[in-house]
Amino acid sequence: MGEQLLNALINGILLGGVFALLALGLNLIFGVVKIIHLAYGQFVMMGFYIIFMFYVQLELPIVLAIVLAIVVMGLVGFLTQFAVIKPLLSAPRLNQLLALASLIVIFENFALFVWGADYRGIPFDIPVIEISNIFIRTSSFIAFIGALVVMGLLYLFLNKTYLGLAIRAVAQDTEVAKLMGINPKTIYYVTMILGGILTAIVAAFFVPIYTVHPHFGAAFTLTAFIIVVLGGMGNLLGGFVGAFLIGIITSVAAVLTSTEVAEIVVLVIFILVMLIRPQGILGTGVSS
Amino acid sequence: MNGAGKIGKVLPAVLFACLIILPMLPISTYIINVVTIIFIWSLVATAWSFMGRFYLVSLGHGAFMGTGAYVTVLLFNHIGLSPWIGMFAGGAAACFMGAVLGYACFRFGVIGDYFALVTLAVAELVALLVVAFREVTGGSLGLTVKSVGTSPWLFQFDNRIYFYYIALAGLCLVLFVWRLIDRSDMRKALMAIGEDELAASSLGVNIIKNKMAITMISTFFTALGGTIYAQYLLYISPETVCGVGVSLSIPFKAILGGMFTLWGPVIGSAIIVSLEEYIRAAYGGTYTSVSQIIYGIALLLLIMFLPKGIFGTLKEKFQKK
Repeated sequence: MGEQLLNALINGILLGGVFALLALGLNLIFGVVKIIHLAYGQFVMMGFYIIFMFYVQLELPIVLAIVLAIVVMGLVGFLTQFAVIKPLLSAPRLNQLLALASLIVIFENFALFVWGADYRGIPFDIPVIEISNIFIRTSSFIAFIGALVVMGLLYLFLNKTYLGLAIRAVAQDTEVAKLMGINPKTIYYVTMILGGILTAIVAAFFVPIYTVHPHFGAAFTLTAFIIVVLGGMGNLLGGFVGAFLIGIITSVAAVLTSTEVAEIVVLVIFILVMLIRPQGILGTGVSS
Repeated sequence: MNGAGKIGKVLPAVLFACLIILPMLPISTYIINVVTIIFIWSLVATAWSFMGRFYLVSLGHGAFMGTGAYVTVLLFNHIGLSPWIGMFAGGAAACFMGAVLGYACFRFGVIGDYFALVTLAVAELVALLVVAFREVTGGSLGLTVKSVGTSPWLFQFDNRIYFYYIALAGLCLVLFVWRLIDRSDMRKALMAIGEDELAASSLGVNIIKNKMAITMISTFFTALGGTIYAQYLLYISPETVCGVGVSLSIPFKAILGGMFTLWGPVIGSAIIVSLEEYIRAAYGGTYTSVSQIIYGIALLLLIMFLPKGIFGTLKEKFQKK
């Protein structure tokens, strides 16, 4: 049991790294565009399918397939901003939510139409790392390292470039950012494109771990949400910590009980955090 | 009384009379089926709008609809309790859940987006619990209502027309309750709370009490809708009565019609159910996914171009003239 728990703990941490990247895009979109992107998991699902299409169906090299998926998902992010979010920026909150919810219907059925209902996986022959009775899937390890690298790059982008500064400025105070000569509309586009690109990258790391199907996305939207709320909405550092917590809780609870109970535990934690500490574990203020 | 007021009084009465007569006319049972489904969803969407119109936006009403459906069916299948009584047990269970959730949310001041997200999580939680307790609930495979032949006392009939009238009666009841609420002091209190919670509380409005009351009424009737739905289809599953999908589809209907008006949720349900049925009939079978894509795009366009809902927009235009 002790070994099993240690195993679960380590795998939970690895999972947490990918979850952190997953939640980052959602968090960024919430922080900057101030919109709850309900179809975020479906974007990941689309990214997965696009990699599958280029790599397995069109037999392109995997790196090229991922790059193409990044381009396509960036474009999808742009189109979503152009066609759905921009016209609804001043609409009631609820209408924004429901418009994005209808994107779920569109994306899932698009995937169903193009790729069918089958589970699609990309076979990779990757060995398992074994260190004195602790088994780590190399794919999880690569995903973990990869996610950390991407997050590091994103951190540099947000903190060291002019565009990154502008994004943070809009996130902090849109009105003041406008006074500083930043056009928030452009920044929204940049953020949504960035969000799209991130979903493709997350999908790339998911490829060796999961198989994809049209309803693959929903669970990840929820996971990303839970992480974002746990860390405090719009709080990127909080989201980072939250991701590891959720990764560990999911993995350990699954070993102790079952996967279903693990999901229930995570949801209950989510509800409790929302009630008692809506600003998140690291948050400081409550947004109204 | 002006012309618009008169039309507003006469039109529903005429419509009601037509709906009473409808099943007696020689039309296909398919139409009757579709109209029955419209009644049931209208009932649920209207019950949702009890809260929605006061900016208490729940994205988790699937939880309450599912509770109504599952409690009734389980009580009937296991101990043979008539669904006529079971529906009140289901309603009470949903009401209790609504009260617990409501108290927790309102006590801690969870409003707006946060309230929407908490309720969404509760819907998912109920669906997960149904799946986890699969020995009792049948899990994701669903649950079939035990067939006993024809027995009005046990809510099973030889003719689907009975369900048509039961659903219509339920809908009328909910619309009547909407009116009652609209004329009560509670409406004023809740309007004030919806606009500015702090100001309302400083004027002595009891926020928690009023919000709890409306939540419990809304969840009770939503569960009632769930019961009728379950008895009508004789089959329930987490996907069709609980969960995120259902929870999102309920506000969809109410908002499309116009969530602040009496007839909005009914009109929204009628349009969405008809649209679903039409697309299914026209492009269904091999192209189910295409029909769903069209459906999604139609929803998106309606939300984007008629943000106040169809009835809400019409009403506004009418009143301006």
